[in-house]
Amino acid sequence: MKKNTLGIFGLLIAIFVVTAVLNDKFISAYNMQNLIKWSSLYAVMSIGVAFVIITGGIDLSIGSVVGLVAVVLAYMMKVKGINPSAAIITTICMSGLIGLVHGLLITKAKIQPFVVTLCGLLIYRSLSRWLTDNQSLGPVPLEGDKGYTNLEFINQLDFIFSGKIAIGSFNLPTPFLFLLVIGITAALFLNRTIWGRYLFALGNNEDGARYSGINTDNMKIIAYVICSLMAGIAGLLFAFELDSVQPAQTGEFYELYAIAAAVLGGCSLRGGEGSILGVIIAAAVIRLIYNSINMLGISTHLEFGILGIVILLGVVADEFLKSYSAKRAAAKQQEP
Amino acid sequence: MKTPFSVLSAVCLSAVFLFIGCKPKPNGTEPGGSTEDATIAYVTNGVDPFWDLCAAGVRIAEKEFNIKCEVHMPTKGVVDQKRIMEGLLAKGVAGIAVSPVDAENQTPFLNEVAQNSKLITQDADAPDSKRIAYIGTNNYKAGRALGKLVKDALPEGGEVIIFVGRLEQLNARQRRQGVIDELLGKPTQELGSVKFDAVDAKNLTAEGSKYTILDTRTDNFDKAKAKSNAEDAITKYENLKCMVGLFAYNPPACIDAIKEANKAGAIKVCGFDEQDALLQAIKEGHAQGTISQQPWEYGYESVKMLKNILNGTMPEKKFLEVPFLVVTKDNVEEFWKKKKEMAELGKQ
Amino acid sequence: MAAGRTPLLEVRGLCKQFPGVRALHHVSLKLHPGEVLALIGENGAGKSTLMKILAGVQPADSGEYHIDGETVAFLNVRDALASGVALIHQELNLAANLDLAANIFLGREPNRLGFVNDKATHLEAAKYLKRVGLNLPTETLVGDLPIGKQQLVEIAKALSCDARVLIMDEPTSSLSQRETETLFEVVHDLREQGISVIYITHRLSEVKVLADRVTVFRDGQNAGDLSQEEIDHDAMVRLMVGRELSEFYDRKIHEPGKVILELDKVRSPAHPHTEISLQIHAGEIVGIAGLVGAGRTELLETIFGVTPALGGTIKVNGQAVHPKSPEEAISAGMALAPEDRKLHGLVLPMTVGENASLASLKRDQNNGLLNFEAEKDVANEAVDQLQIKTPHLEQVARFLSGGNQQKIVLGKWLALKPRLLMLDEPTRGIDVGAKREIYKLMEKLAGEGIAILFVSSEMEEVLGMADRALIMHEGAIAGELNRSQLSEEAIMQLATGTSLAA
Repeated sequence: MKKNTLGIFGLLIAIFVVTAVLNDKFISAYNMQNLIKWSSLYAVMSIGVAFVIITGGIDLSIGSVVGLVAVVLAYMMKVKGINPSAAIITTICMSGLIGLVHGLLITKAKIQPFVVTLCGLLIYRSLSRWLTDNQSLGPVPLEGDKGYTNLEFINQLDFIFSGKIAIGSFNLPTPFLFLLVIGITAALFLNRTIWGRYLFALGNNEDGARYSGINTDNMKIIAYVICSLMAGIAGLLFAFELDSVQPAQTGEFYELYAIAAAVLGGCSLRGGEGSILGVIIAAAVIRLIYNSINMLGISTHLEFGILGIVILLGVVADEFLKSYSAKRAAAKQQEP
Repeated sequence: MKTPFSVLSAVCLSAVFLFIGCKPKPNGTEPGGSTEDATIAYVTNGVDPFWDLCAAGVRIAEKEFNIKCEVHMPTKGVVDQKRIMEGLLAKGVAGIAVSPVDAENQTPFLNEVAQNSKLITQDADAPDSKRIAYIGTNNYKAGRALGKLVKDALPEGGEVIIFVGRLEQLNARQRRQGVIDELLGKPTQELGSVKFDAVDAKNLTAEGSKYTILDTRTDNFDKAKAKSNAEDAITKYENLKCMVGLFAYNPPACIDAIKEANKAGAIKVCGFDEQDALLQAIKEGHAQGTISQQPWEYGYESVKMLKNILNGTMPEKKFLEVPFLVVTKDNVEEFWKKKKEMAELGKQ
Repeated sequence: MAAGRTPLLEVRGLCKQFPGVRALHHVSLKLHPGEVLALIGENGAGKSTLMKILAGVQPADSGEYHIDGETVAFLNVRDALASGVALIHQELNLAANLDLAANIFLGREPNRLGFVNDKATHLEAAKYLKRVGLNLPTETLVGDLPIGKQQLVEIAKALSCDARVLIMDEPTSSLSQRETETLFEVVHDLREQGISVIYITHRLSEVKVLADRVTVFRDGQNAGDLSQEEIDHDAMVRLMVGRELSEFYDRKIHEPGKVILELDKVRSPAHPHTEISLQIHAGEIVGIAGLVGAGRTELLETIFGVTPALGGTIKVNGQAVHPKSPEEAISAGMALAPEDRKLHGLVLPMTVGENASLASLKRDQNNGLLNFEAEKDVANEAVDQLQIKTPHLEQVARFLSGGNQQKIVLGKWLALKPRLLMLDEPTRGIDVGAKREIYKLMEKLAGEGIAILFVSSEMEEVLGMADRALIMHEGAIAGELNRSQLSEEAIMQLATGTSLAA
């Protein structure tokens, strides 16, 4: 475990222990299941945005992509009665395509990532609302819906995306399995493939990477595709978890949670730094803070304040740690 | 949940209108056969399923009273609403029914509108403005009716928790206070002068009452947050007997959480508004009931009142109270059917 | 000239250390009133660091600093200015959108109760502009002036602060011949007015014209002083490099092999109307000389696909290639060690090993997976072959000295076994020892049949290393000199646009 991952892990343990001491119901199996479930959902998005942040970019459209994927999925399965497998494949492709468009606009048309994805945020949210007349709808069809004939299959999907697997007396939420697979794949990609190395290189110094023969444009496009794909998968998970999708609200602000988790988890917005494990732990810290606030009965009005302070402290501590270790490395270098 | 919170900027509008512009209109919802030239307008405070149900009432009234009424849904915020209303004045509409986004601060502008057109408010009032009348629900009374549903669900008494999107909104606070006063057996308050308990008051109870209101948790309109709030409440309070959801998406979130925790039946749900998931749960017996504001009545009554005003008949009172409907297992089928009809009719 | 009197400015035993680099080691310097002192030395000899310390930009680690015999310790530029020491930067610090008067008094505007007194500003400014021979309306925008005149404005600005010591850091590096002459006149006038000048330069010919005395730095230390009578080219070079020239540039002449790189009427985006044709053979070391801005770097970048050519043909080993990106150029067998190695050559926050293997990851991959074994081999070979001084491969490249950083860049390319190696200012900012090793490496690679094309602003380097030199002027190749024709004068003539015959 790298040093900065160790710091965030310590934070996780600290909040965990404090809450557990103050409220004995906190460590109940039921609460742990919920915590794992929500952490997994948000961590999937955060992993996606970590890729983009490592390249030195940003993606503000994640929340809207989550919303759009959830809406389109529900619309296709419930209202249009389209085969659920086709609906899932379509929505996943759609999210990948969104990432591709972002990447092309950023690399080929040379528009700033902030602008491209901000416009994306607005456009996909609108699309969701327009498609559904802004009516909330769920992926699981009710009697009278066209998709009702596929109900059995959809219920199976519901189990896959938002079910629980009994392991003894513990019910493991299935989103955790998604996170496990995605997290391991992402970590392998970043640390064990040449493309992962290229992403870090170009995030640290895009020109330097390009002069070394790396096709930096293609690598950036890949990062944006991965980011939107993860948002799309998160969209599926959220749709099944919430059972009802509100076109105007589902996923709203989630990009900020994702970016916050990525930054807290050790990604630098300057690019070139980041660890998947750190991001997953940071996403868990954020969910844990929400859970603790409820468990300790702190006013919900204080949530954002507490979250903001924790993230700020985490990042400040990280920055101190880094300059400290940089100084030590420099001092070491000067010794003969 | 009629003034959702968001940061979407005005830029969004152009995109939305672009999409609206190229979308085919469903058949049969165009106002037909209006012979008079007078046009009125119905302006909402945002975009929400609630307003589509209201629009259905507008469509019905259009036909019945033979008048043309435009429905406008400002994407979000005061700026957009103002822009739309200025446009309407420029076109010379004869009357406007509006749900002001920020009544207090919009008063001067509303006065300007009232000078140039016939202005009434609906859903939310602007009492200090020169609007002719206000059409709305008595949210305090509705809250007390919701409290009665809780009492029906828990005749033996017990612990109750309230969920809501935001407590900054007046209607949310009135509803909450209605529930609290009813459960604690407090005397009925006047709508205009309701005294509120502190927003973060915990374990509210009163002598002689069998009920304890544990807490009020907010979620800022995030459905995922609403659900995790409900889950956390299940974890924290072993003896929790009933969840009360004040905004449309709260009851379905509670129902989901209860189902997944295998607490169906042990924890009751009482709600507000009429989301399908809640109606389904009422039908299946997982939820006690809900209070519907019958949104279509807002639209219908607004058009009716404006038509009367244009014909020279001023309303007798400044406040027209739209009756709310208590929906329980007994009448849910009938209500749901009506809601479906209205949703279809109200689609833009 | 004014020996015997108390020096106006004197430093003794100055030391300055940067992470991984000993920039200054017990350095001394004296400057008398009305003296023009030339400060010379190779890149990385510590001249710029000393200037920054003198002008209060950076503090020294230890040592004494006296002005008028009094000990001073400058915390910032403002302190230094108050004592009369002003630095004229290589990159001018003027606001292009403001007029002359505003620039001269920027931050010190004559004012009454916070309101700028415009009339006084312009009157005062005109006075100082006259002293540097600029008779221009004070309302002229600085951005509208050529670079040479801007420099004079900068000097006027320093005079307006009552500067007694002007430190000029390579003032002529981007000036034309005419502008250079004007500047020399101004420096002479200033000396007459009793102002002292410390003049840093690379151009040894300027030293003879201008200086009363020369101080030579080498490797962060004093290498010696020369009085006005002693100043001659060879003496200066000897002190700078510490040995005879021929020993430093150890060149053998190789029989040139077949043509490796051939350019035919290539037009670069920087100079779209100029066509460039050239040939480089295997085993040949070709230097490109010229003034800053002559289009040398741009030419290399066009060949390497960074800024793809607009027209013409580029052939490598007889095969036409049209690199649209470095990726394509590399697969055609080219490599480029860029001028700015921190920005383009390396990924500084990454480790020595990661940098050395960056270009060869693709070749050594296992279906996309990193081949850690091969990566380590590549890095180790680079460290061994080039004698990169690093504690281990995991050391972050940022903490290495300039010379070692340059070696990483070279190691990265050598792993790919290129046919053509292009080097842009290969020894800029590198200490003398590393410089010598890089020259040796160039010689060795040429011996192995690699074609080498290098750009250099250091006359010595071109004279010492090139089999053949191409001299660029305003985007075009103004002339070609073979080894027997190579001389400083011939290069300067071609570089400034004077034809050889003239």
